[in-house]
Amino acid sequence: MSDHISGPRAIADPVIDITDVYAFPSPESPNHLVLIMNVFPYAGPSALFSDAVIYRLRVRSISIAPDGRSFAVAADESTFDFIFSGSQPSQEGHCALPNGDVIKFRLNEESGGTAKGLQIFAGQRSDPFFLDGPMAEKTIATRQIAFKEVGSDRLYGKNVLGIVLRIEWATVLKGGPMFAVVGETLSAGKRPVRLERVGRPEIKNITLSAKIFDTVNRDLEIRDIYNEEDAFNVSKNYAGAYRARLNANLAFFDGLDGKVDWPLDPRGNHPLTELLLADFLVVDASKPFSETSYFDIERAVLEGRTHATCGGRWLNEDLVDTLLTLYVNAGKGPRIRDGVDAPIAWSLKVFPYMAPPNRPEAGKS
Amino acid sequence: MMDERPLTDGTIALLNLDAQIDALEPEVRIGPASVETRSGLAELIALRGLIVGCIADYDRANEIAEQLVRDVPTDPHALLARARTHAGFHRFNDALADIECAEQLSLDAETANGERAAIFQALGRYDESLVLREEAAKRRASFEHVAALVGLHAERGEIEATERRYEESRSQYRGVSPIPLALLDFQLGLMWMNEGQLDNARTSFNAAQRRVPAYAPAGGHLSEVEAELGEVDSAISRLHSLAESSDDPDYAAQLARILWDVGRDWESRYWRQVAAARYDELIANHPEAFADHAAEFWLAAGADPDKALQLAKMNLEVRNTPRARSLLAQAVAAQSASSSAECHENVVPPCG
Repeated sequence: MSDHISGPRAIADPVIDITDVYAFPSPESPNHLVLIMNVFPYAGPSALFSDAVIYRLRVRSISIAPDGRSFAVAADESTFDFIFSGSQPSQEGHCALPNGDVIKFRLNEESGGTAKGLQIFAGQRSDPFFLDGPMAEKTIATRQIAFKEVGSDRLYGKNVLGIVLRIEWATVLKGGPMFAVVGETLSAGKRPVRLERVGRPEIKNITLSAKIFDTVNRDLEIRDIYNEEDAFNVSKNYAGAYRARLNANLAFFDGLDGKVDWPLDPRGNHPLTELLLADFLVVDASKPFSETSYFDIERAVLEGRTHATCGGRWLNEDLVDTLLTLYVNAGKGPRIRDGVDAPIAWSLKVFPYMAPPNRPEAGKS
Repeated sequence: MMDERPLTDGTIALLNLDAQIDALEPEVRIGPASVETRSGLAELIALRGLIVGCIADYDRANEIAEQLVRDVPTDPHALLARARTHAGFHRFNDALADIECAEQLSLDAETANGERAAIFQALGRYDESLVLREEAAKRRASFEHVAALVGLHAERGEIEATERRYEESRSQYRGVSPIPLALLDFQLGLMWMNEGQLDNARTSFNAAQRRVPAYAPAGGHLSEVEAELGEVDSAISRLHSLAESSDDPDYAAQLARILWDVGRDWESRYWRQVAAARYDELIANHPEAFADHAAEFWLAAGADPDKALQLAKMNLEVRNTPRARSLLAQAVAAQSASSSAECHENVVPPCG
């Protein structure tokens, strides 16, 4: 499930559990970039943000590295810190902007908070992610593609707590027009500690969690260690462990159709490993909004060509199909489908983009 | 004292626990939900029951786990879920049998031994529990493993070891939920109370309640400590609110006892009746789980030594702990005192 329940710490406390991060040019205003971070999988009606957590969106300017095969990430960063206070009847939120200004807003108010070049929403919304989770697990357990023509969406009718930030990127962000985006939860206080971080979807769950193919660290629950890393500066301590796990698991997925589309290099490295290890969304704000452009920029880099779309990630994209097709046949074969093609409610193309929350009893597919 | 990391406000934490339960409950009720969802829901509901002192929550968790085992009897996680709810109702032998079975069905040894250690502790088999708990903490000194040792040392009255492990476990805590730390403070409070160090007990129970204001057992024990320290009005006020909100008769029983002690007989009688009726109901449904507390009630405010003795014997059969032995000794003494008073009454006719 995208990044839902992605490690022991997230399982223990859903209020820190980032389910997804999205980044896309605004469908209704090309000058704006939209960033979304969702937390709290399976949020019931009374779910609230923690008052002891910083919900952070980090944005850095990014370009294609001189080698043409990877990204060069700028050191300068635009950070948006969201904190919440109070409980019932309504929480109040504060967003600290990169220039030091603070915007106030109230939970679930659709117009949200505004400042020059910015609009913010936070509140309960329908979870836009969809997949057949049990069949994804069965695929790994049986080492065979287990998806059915019509799958069952474990997240159907579920809600999350969403944070939506619409930015006039040219005036608010540093650099551009291509950006790297990461969402984080950190414990508040004098010395914030990173609890979770998410860039790309399904890295920790589908891509990293299976241990059985990893001959180097077969017993290691790697996800909490991975969560603690700075996405823009992965420590050397565990980089080898992440590489080993990614190489093993990506090779497993590649082999699911009985042929090799991603030949490993002489040292056993999968061609996607380094790219995925740089775990952030890559979005080009100068390109028009696109509904299906996840990983386009990365693919262009891999293929040594100039990208044509905005990349990033839109709310309604059938991410699991895109990802499985990428992993299994590198896009050279038929599209791999998980049998779930839509969420319970489509997201909107106007602010705050995410569909309103579902009633609790709607949670059956 | 170490730096306190910021924690989620206890009211928000409890609302979020409700939110998790409310999101999963329709899925489980309508069915079919996965084993993971159902066992996860049972665990969340049992946790809420523990925090707010709600026996109906334990019943619901048990119902989910029982149904789960009926539906998938060979799933180790279903058996694990039922082992936990069985242990919650003090059906320790059934719980151990479920764990044994789950392990044969490939439940990992670390999880199985963690569950066994908790049951051994509840049964008073402290040495066996300690071996398993220490092994786990040696393998991985996580918050959960070290916190489990705090509870064990506290129950054994090992003050130095408890305090050391308490500090160690707090330093290992990486989360923002206040609930695990409130549970830890509660363990410490119980130890101080059992050791007669009432000021320390009050500090620990207060800490637990500050973290999670709705933490009913912390409030209940805090009232006991306050009453012992002569702060009767505060104790009564606290217990009033707990006795009204909780379906656990312990609060009504404590309230009846304290009201009686201060001469508020009429009010005491009302709460005594409330507690007596509820204990009878609970003993009929879950005798093993409530024998100890019911025996304590009948020994004190309930004033029925025969009933207390019968329940204290049953409790000792369930678990041979120092507390169970002490309870039986008190019940024997009370029953014997009551019998001799009755004999005396028979020999010497009442005046007038």
